[in-house]
Parts: sequence; structure tokens; C-alpha cells
Amino acid sequence: MQRAQRPVFLSLARIRFPVGAVASIGHRISGVLLVLSLPFAVLALERSLQAESAMVVVSGWVRLPAALLGWACAHHLFAGIRHLLMDAGIGSSLGAGRASAYAALIAGAAVGLAALVL
Amino acid sequence: MRFRIYRLDPETQARPSWREYDVRLEATDRKVLDALERIRTTLDDSLAYRRSCREGVCGSDAMNINGRNALACITPLEGLGEPVTLAPLPGFPVIRDLIVDMTQFFAHYHEIRPYLITDEPPPERERLQTPEERAKLDGLYECILCACCSGFCPSYWWNPDKFIGPAGLLQAERFIVDSRDRATAERLAFLDDVYKLYRCRTIMNCTEVCPKGLSPSRAIEHIKLQQLRRST
Amino acid sequence: MRLFSGQRAFVVQRLSALVLLAFLGGGALRLAFGPPASLDQWQGWVAQPLGAAAVLLFALAVLAHAWVGIRDVVLDYIHPLPLRLTVLGLSAIGLALLAAWTTLVLVSHAL
Repeated sequence: MQRAQRPVFLSLARIRFPVGAVASIGHRISGVLLVLSLPFAVLALERSLQAESAMVVVSGWVRLPAALLGWACAHHLFAGIRHLLMDAGIGSSLGAGRASAYAALIAGAAVGLAALVL
Repeated sequence: MRFRIYRLDPETQARPSWREYDVRLEATDRKVLDALERIRTTLDDSLAYRRSCREGVCGSDAMNINGRNALACITPLEGLGEPVTLAPLPGFPVIRDLIVDMTQFFAHYHEIRPYLITDEPPPERERLQTPEERAKLDGLYECILCACCSGFCPSYWWNPDKFIGPAGLLQAERFIVDSRDRATAERLAFLDDVYKLYRCRTIMNCTEVCPKGLSPSRAIEHIKLQQLRRST
Repeated sequence: MRLFSGQRAFVVQRLSALVLLAFLGGGALRLAFGPPASLDQWQGWVAQPLGAAAVLLFALAVLAHAWVGIRDVVLDYIHPLPLRLTVLGLSAIGLALLAAWTTLVLVSHAL
């Protein structure tokens, strides 16, 4: 069998990812979600600057995407701060890296949950 | 003890399959490698895997054990959830069963020029280093090139041909910080491209699975820092 | 090629992140410790050149940060060249349009 035809083992379901990897993929997914929501953000900016702006009421089915965006903002922010700290040399050991990953995941989830219920 | 092992025989199979084994272990079988030998000698002698030193220093038997990369010879059987799932290193082309093609991996190692580069004439005895200078190599020279790290790095999975991977980058750092090396600027410049170094997202999967307890993520961080220093 | 250096993108990503953090931190402090904010106050602040410039800087930092992020995702997952160029091109255009739109919104409000 030629080298080019050799299969590769990449069943992601069979791989046990550490917490840092979960935080990392969350960071990427939240980033993509935020980019997709950018047009809405600019729209919101525009609306906020208009002469007669009513308060936006987030209710009904809008709550779910709003909560998702809330999670995305929070997780991306916390995971991003974690990366910046690691760049500066803070928390780059294995134990610290794991702990900060948990912190970012939990904090992000908390904000998302809060956005859902409040 | 029950095992589920990834099997692929390219001469008879088109696609890989999982084979289950229920092996009777002896009291002396303590590590995954012992179990593999027991399976091969008592149940299925077609099972293929690499092994050599059986003490965690050669790196031959790196594989995916219950979802995490590890060396089979130093992974204890006790505490492993059954059926113990054995798969080849993720992302590496599979030659047969648990044996993967390491060509690409070693090519990246060669790429970073893993040898001292200096024009200075060799001294009478050694090129001297202070204890502090020598200490900088700790955590870097111990790498056994087993590929547990690169085989667990998602960035390496998506771009194994262009991203050098945690093992190669750890070795690059080993030579960048070596006080006897005179090619530091070239080494750093070589890594300054879109793929070689900067596919690293600091996911830290590498450090999680290194059987020697090394931290490729920290080594990579340090390379990025040094590059920043050089350019400002 | 210096133009495509990996370090440049890395620095842009980290720098824009710090800028965004600074703004978010400042905004949080203002909301937490300043007088209660009203929509009129916000509109008034953005109407001034300093306020408008600040919001624009924030927006540009977001777009620069988003660009590096999208580029990383594309480089990781999309390998065929034509598809890659298409996605990167569309993303660049999309982000540029957002920058233009934001500028328009801010400028027309200030006038």
C-alpha cells in the first residue's frame, strides 16, 4: 500500500480530551459565533444612536440566541485572558493551565446561564 | 482483562476494524505492553506493534490508550477502564495495526536542525557551559521523540505536513537556548512563518500526555517570546 | 516573506485583544462606579469626536482580531487553495464592509 493511501486514526469520539482542549475548542467556537454576530452588533450600535430608541426587550425565543451570545462573549473573553496571561508566563504549567481552563469554562457557562434566566 | 484493539492489515483489509480480546493475564503482567505481549503470544500472533526498551526511554511503543497517548510499557494496567481501547497515534498514517509511519514526524525534527551550529574551532576538551547555562537544557534534552505529544495536538492533526509540531518545536527550543550554539537568529527566523510555529494555539494537549513530563507548550511559548524580543 | 510572517498575525491578535480588554475594562468601571448611564448620555458621548474615535478604535480592534481568528480557522481546516482563497476573500470583504458601515454610523451621528 502506498503511503498516500494509508488511513489515519482520528475518531475524535474515541479520544479523551483534557480540559484545556475543551476550553480551546470553546474559544474557537465562541470566536466564530461572535464574528457571525458582528453585523448584528453594528446594527445595535446604529439603533442605539438613533434619535428615538426604545429599550430592547429580550424575551421569548430571542432569549436562547441571546444567552448563546452571552456565553460566547464571556467564554471568549475569559479564555482569551487565560491565553494572554500564559503569554506573559503566568499559569503555563500543567496544573495551572488545567485550573485556569476549568475557571474559564465555568465562568463562561455561568454567564451564559445567567443570560438565559435573567 | 478485556481489550479492544485497532486492527489494520493493508494486505487483506481495505479499512481498519476493532477486535476484542479477553486475555488471561499472569500476576507479572503489570503494564499495557505486558498485556499486548500476552495477547500476541496466547491469543492472536498477527497483532503488530513496536516495542524495544520496555522501560519508557526509547519511545517505540507510543500509542493511544483509552483515549490518551501514552507509552505502553510504562502505563499500568491497574485502573484502566475495560475494555482497554488501544489505537495507533492519532493523525499518523497507519502502516499496520498499532504501527504508524513516523517519516513526517522525523522530517520535521530534521527540519529544525537538531545539532550544534558553530564556526568556532573545537576546543581542546569540551565547549564549556556554566551550570546555569546547562540548566536551561533541562526539560528539553530529555525528549525521547516518542510522538505522544504531536499525536495529540489538534493543530498537528490538521496540518501535519506544515506545522512542525510540539516535539520538533521542543527540540528547536533545546538548540535555541543552548549557549554553545551560534545560529540562534537563524533558528528563530526559520520558525517565523505562518505554519511552522504559529499553528500552535496553546491547547496544551502536548504537555498533558508527555510521558517524560516535559512541557512543549512552555517551550513554544518561550520561542514566541524570544522572537518578539528579537523583532522589537 | 516578511509580509506573511506568523509573528505579525500573532502580535496583531494579542495587541488588539489588549486594546479590547482596555476598553471593556474602562467601560465596566464607568458603568460600575460612574453616575447611572442613560441612552442620551451615550448618544452625547459618541457625538463628540473623542467618543466617536474611541468607538471606532474599539470597532477596528474587533475587526483586526476577528480577521486573525478567521484566518487561523481557515488555515487549519480549509486546504484546497480555491476554496481557501474564496473564504478568506469573502471574510476580508465582509469585515471591511463592517468597518465602513461602522464609520458611516459614527460619522453621521457626529454630524
